[in-house]
Amino acid sequence: MVKSKFLKFLIIGLLFFLMVSACKEKAEKSSLPKLGAAAIDFNFQDLEGQAWSLDKVRGKVVLLRFWADWCPYCRYEMPIIDKYYRKLKKEGFLVLAVNVKQSAEVALAFIAQLDVTFPVPLDPDGKMAKRYGVYAIPTNFLIDRQGIIREILIGEVFKEEKPLRELLKNYFPLS
Amino acid sequence: MLGPNLFKRSFFFLNTLLLIIPLILRSIPASGINGRADYETVNYKGQKLSILRDSLTQAPVIIRGIESNLLEIKNFSKLSRKEITNTGIPLVSKYKSLLRIEPDQLKLKSAEKISDTWYVSYWQTFHGVIIYESSLGYAIDSRGRIKSLGALLYPHVQAPVTSKVSHEEALKIGQGQIKDFKKLKCILLAESVLIYPVKKKSSIDYYRVYAFNFFPQEALHPASVVGGWAVFIDTQTGKKVLYEELLKPLGCCIPEDWVPPKLEEMKPKW
Repeated sequence: MVKSKFLKFLIIGLLFFLMVSACKEKAEKSSLPKLGAAAIDFNFQDLEGQAWSLDKVRGKVVLLRFWADWCPYCRYEMPIIDKYYRKLKKEGFLVLAVNVKQSAEVALAFIAQLDVTFPVPLDPDGKMAKRYGVYAIPTNFLIDRQGIIREILIGEVFKEEKPLRELLKNYFPLS
Repeated sequence: MLGPNLFKRSFFFLNTLLLIIPLILRSIPASGINGRADYETVNYKGQKLSILRDSLTQAPVIIRGIESNLLEIKNFSKLSRKEITNTGIPLVSKYKSLLRIEPDQLKLKSAEKISDTWYVSYWQTFHGVIIYESSLGYAIDSRGRIKSLGALLYPHVQAPVTSKVSHEEALKIGQGQIKDFKKLKCILLAESVLIYPVKKKSSIDYYRVYAFNFFPQEALHPASVVGGWAVFIDTQTGKKVLYEELLKPLGCCIPEDWVPPKLEEMKPKW
């Protein structure tokens, strides 16, 4: 009698857990980043061991960028992005260049070769990329000071300086 | 004899655990990160250098000159592109005992000029075969100065130099790894023989592999969210040593006058 009651409780508990998991998965799918919507929270650690979350970067204009070293298009854009990061860092421009599915050593060597200075968080299992709906690299999200996604740019868009300058003009005094 | 209250408590405890464990796991930061970089200062042939080493191979990942450049290339502005792509040779020769590779192990990966700076990078090879994810690269400013280099090198590679399994056999095994290979109209985007280093706790296993990069044809459309796969087959045993789902490298946004790209426009993973 007691045993069957326990079994009943256990089955209900498991069903409840499965239901919660299914709802969570559905919610994740429908909560992919959208223009004009709040950015999804993230939790990264960069190559220097520093932790980054959405809360930590609030008040800054953030270029959240997903890349990998084997993607040639990702390479070309980095020095141009770094140029503007150096220029506008003090005024609140932050670049988080998230390496997807590679080791810290691979990312570190690549960053050193390009001599870029922005933080490079790691997404070793690609979980954050997946949460952000990234299916191609490079993919860039521009998040404003209030944490709202203002641009989603897929593919190589910053090979020339102009598109980045035009984009940042909306947030910083650039001639 | 266990009372019903205890069962109820166990039930609530179990459910609480089921709900809390994923939350606890999510709050733990991803592992495998080096943490704060640990640089050492070295006097190399009278030159002060700052070096960060790979904890396993002890090969330098970053070398920076302190108060001096790693290399200054004379008459840099007059050099041709071909000469610029050969600048790795004097650089590796100069720091050979630190880098612990020979200049003839370099194979050009890329060389491009962005603004006034040249960015040059190489693969490391072993008996002419590229080592997967290896690299040595640097920036050269308009005055021909190289201030630092970044590298992922393998100084003591021990790998087979011939293949026991045939290419055809390996390709079949590779295709077999992709579920619905025919249904998805998969194509072989790129293939190569590579040395694939697998890092363990205190050593590295080096596999000589057939590397295949498969893409479903759908993935060729820039708007498609479908990616592809990298499959590495051991040339000695025919066993799969890597299976990885890939993101698509995308060289453009989606223009209004989009036409399907040619196969050669898609980039492989090496």
